[in-house]
Amino acid sequence: MFFLKELEKTIQLHPSYFGPLIRQHIHRELLTKEEGSSTGKFTIVCILDSFDISDGQVIPGSGFAEYTVHYKAIVWRPYKGEVMDGVVTSVIRAGFFVDCGSLQAFVGNAMIPSEIRFDANATPPQWTDNGDQVIEKGTNIRIKIKGLRAELDRMYAIGTMKEDYLGPLQS
Amino acid sequence: MKIRSPSNLHYPITVVELAKKRDEEVQRSSPLFSYTYESVVEETDRYGEAKSVKKKWPARFDSSAEGVVSQWFVKAGTVIQRPGIDIVEIEEPCTHEVQFGSLCANCGKDMTEVDYLTDQRNVDRAPINMTHGTLSLLVSQKEAVRADEEVKHRLLESRKLSLIVDLDQTVIHTTCERTIGEWKEDPENPNYDAVKDVQSFQLADDNIAGVGANSYYVKMRPGLKEFFDRVSHMYEMHVYTMATRAYAQKVADIIDPERKYFGDRILSRDENYTDKLKSLQRLFPTNTDMVVIIDDRADVWHYSDNLVRVPVFNFFPGAGDINASFLPKQQELITSSPKVATPESSPTKETPGNEGADAATYSVAAKPGETATTENTNGALTEIEQQLISMGSVDNPEVLEQQAKEQEKIIITQQIERPLLQQQLLLDKEDEGAEAAVEENGEAVDTQNGSTQTTEPHKHRHSLLHDDDRGLEVIERHLKAVHQKFYDEYRKGRKVPPGGRIAELKGSPKKRLESSVPDIKVLMPRMKREVLDGSTIVFSGIIPLGMDVQFSDLALWVKSFGAEVSTNISRQTTHVIANPDRKTTKVKKAARYPHIKIVNAEWMLQCCARWEHIDETPYTIEVDPAERGGSPFEELEDTDPGVTGDEDGADGVDEVPIDMSEAKWDDIDDEFQAFMDESDDSEDNASTDSESVRSEASTKSDSKQIKRKRKRTTGSTDVSEAEDSDASTTSTSRLQRRKKRTMERVSSLTNVVTADKSSGLPSPETTGPEEDTGELEKDPDPAGLAAEDSDPEEDDGLEAEMLAEFERSASEEA
Repeated sequence: MFFLKELEKTIQLHPSYFGPLIRQHIHRELLTKEEGSSTGKFTIVCILDSFDISDGQVIPGSGFAEYTVHYKAIVWRPYKGEVMDGVVTSVIRAGFFVDCGSLQAFVGNAMIPSEIRFDANATPPQWTDNGDQVIEKGTNIRIKIKGLRAELDRMYAIGTMKEDYLGPLQS
Repeated sequence: MKIRSPSNLHYPITVVELAKKRDEEVQRSSPLFSYTYESVVEETDRYGEAKSVKKKWPARFDSSAEGVVSQWFVKAGTVIQRPGIDIVEIEEPCTHEVQFGSLCANCGKDMTEVDYLTDQRNVDRAPINMTHGTLSLLVSQKEAVRADEEVKHRLLESRKLSLIVDLDQTVIHTTCERTIGEWKEDPENPNYDAVKDVQSFQLADDNIAGVGANSYYVKMRPGLKEFFDRVSHMYEMHVYTMATRAYAQKVADIIDPERKYFGDRILSRDENYTDKLKSLQRLFPTNTDMVVIIDDRADVWHYSDNLVRVPVFNFFPGAGDINASFLPKQQELITSSPKVATPESSPTKETPGNEGADAATYSVAAKPGETATTENTNGALTEIEQQLISMGSVDNPEVLEQQAKEQEKIIITQQIERPLLQQQLLLDKEDEGAEAAVEENGEAVDTQNGSTQTTEPHKHRHSLLHDDDRGLEVIERHLKAVHQKFYDEYRKGRKVPPGGRIAELKGSPKKRLESSVPDIKVLMPRMKREVLDGSTIVFSGIIPLGMDVQFSDLALWVKSFGAEVSTNISRQTTHVIANPDRKTTKVKKAARYPHIKIVNAEWMLQCCARWEHIDETPYTIEVDPAERGGSPFEELEDTDPGVTGDEDGADGVDEVPIDMSEAKWDDIDDEFQAFMDESDDSEDNASTDSESVRSEASTKSDSKQIKRKRKRTTGSTDVSEAEDSDASTTSTSRLQRRKKRTMERVSSLTNVVTADKSSGLPSPETTGPEEDTGELEKDPDPAGLAAEDSDPEEDDGLEAEMLAEFERSASEEA
């Protein structure tokens, strides 16, 4: 789910950036470092334009200047039970991997409807019910999140396909 | 899951009442039973008197798992005396067999949670990774066995086996040198034919040291597509490489663009957990009975029985394996020019029969320069690697960083110095010079080679790269044979009720199908052992000093083909593998036995590559006919192999225990003395040394000392060799000739010594004051001599210093 969230970030600038363009530098630093990063709980999708930079403070001993920036950003946080769309990245015998934005999810064979079976002899290997449902690398798929775990900079999820309206999307 | 009594209770405990009956559902941390325990406490009565009282306390036992109670092992009134007693069996709804990023893939629970009830962490239930492309998917032992079984059934059904394929130097060869790109664009270039199918790619994420985007040039081993095509009918193929993921993917795109051979079965360094080893268990954790590996290196596989070692594919001379910096250093071998020269030396194809002759004639005509440069570049590279490996195999980040840097360095060297281009330029130059010479020699060459080989004037220029590798044909033949044998045995095993073979199949479940599946680990070594069965091989001048022969790469390899390796010549010896450039003692000794075949290392490599005992004739090293025939004097020595034992040390072979009688020792000492007396003056101090030794008891330690002395002095024989051999041509006695041979002997140790001598200090072989040192010997110079004798361990630097001192004092006296 997407949220609008107020965030704070401390940025240290090298003295060589001190000058009339200093605000631009801070802006760029913020964008390159923060956008797309994951804190473990959520991913920062987009930083909104209006933000507020505190007065800089030179750190004794190093000459770097420290700025605290308050900004608003659109963040994305997955929840257990959430239904989301993703792209299959890899298909193996034990299930398949799905990328939902910054979240990597795994759908194990216990989470796949029993009529869909693994076919190792197809190239590339695929999960299929021999009908119109074919799951191979690159397939768009809709899954529901069964479990979530966050590590320092990334999130893992277990997805399921065993409910109504879940599975490969007709594109 | 079975719950056992934990270690943190106050034993003994007495069960009072069970809270859950059989088949009842139980939640995690809900009570399973109540119990009482006893302990001694201090009690104070109302008069303030303290007393120790034994008291009984009630407590309850919480379940550490949820599920259905399937069996109780205790009942009300049971006394549990110690930890580790079975209490209850609970059937869990999910046993967390497959875990992704520490989440159970079946129920979605977090496996890392730990609380007061946890006695075994849930993440520990699934410790095995058997997936190619990822690190985060782990399975339990049970699941791994199940998956392996499934693979086995599928393979048996389609009559296939698993094949693990290494990339670098096995099926492809990669270099980073820009030169290849230029040659590829230039049809005029002599190498154009060889490189026109080379494909290149760039990796997005490496921009090494500002050299700019780095191109990798990949040469496929000739016939690769057809090879994959045919082999994929017999084998399910996996890629297992020590390169990075990105590199492996790119190479896979080149060798298998449609992904029909490998699919996603690619395992790279990024998913291998270690940089040092490849492990079958990484992909086949429980069952490796149906796996065959092809790789050019056996050490990274720990000489696995599943391995078919293939001849190295070395297309870009000197480029080596750009991904090898992370691997342990390959054992170095003193295989010299023939290996390099033979495949490269002649532009036209040659039949094995006249191979030897070809190489010889060409090396006369044009090649020596080229061979030398190849070796030089190799040396430069390996030196870097050597340095790197000497850091030890400790797995710490510093070393890793160092290794990464070394790899960068190698790549940068290839980019900037462009060794291939240099070699080609050199080759061109050689060509121009040799053109005339070849024309002169033309006639002679023609007659030598017969009509198969025409010495038509070289097209225009020699090409450095040659597209004539035939390794894949050989590999394919082996793979076919192994596959055939496996399924022959499988069919036989199914017809005949399983009998004695079951014992060989370890750990196979009691199913009927399983018991009849043969094991590659048994089958393939058996096939290989037939090749050189019954031969006993001695290496001479091949394996570097200071290495245990039995565990050297070559010895392990040849042993896997059924040959035995011994360190010294005996009656059992059938082959001596020698360095054709150096006449070692062992070669001379072996020459006296007519049944021992003296061959170069190429013979062994060919045998091991082709899995056949091939004819030794083309690989035989020519030995002086005089040495072939035995004289009475030498016959005497033949009966006692120990005599030359101490000289073997100089050949880079470990010392073997020598047992000698006193009489023999006198013989030796006499001979030694004679030898010393007649040798040139610079060795005189050694001879005095030997005399003093003789006066003492002739023990083994003494013999060692002599040996060391002689080794040290051999450095000086280099110079005096010429005059000495002149002298001995006139003399006809056996003894004299033997001496001459001894003088000519060049050991690997000598090389080291001479290399070190270039330090600027006056060295022993300075020819100037030779007579002076002779005089000096008569002169009492106790200080110098004593130092020489007392410290046999002194290093070359000190020795050189000492000699400088000698010479100075000598010239003062003169």
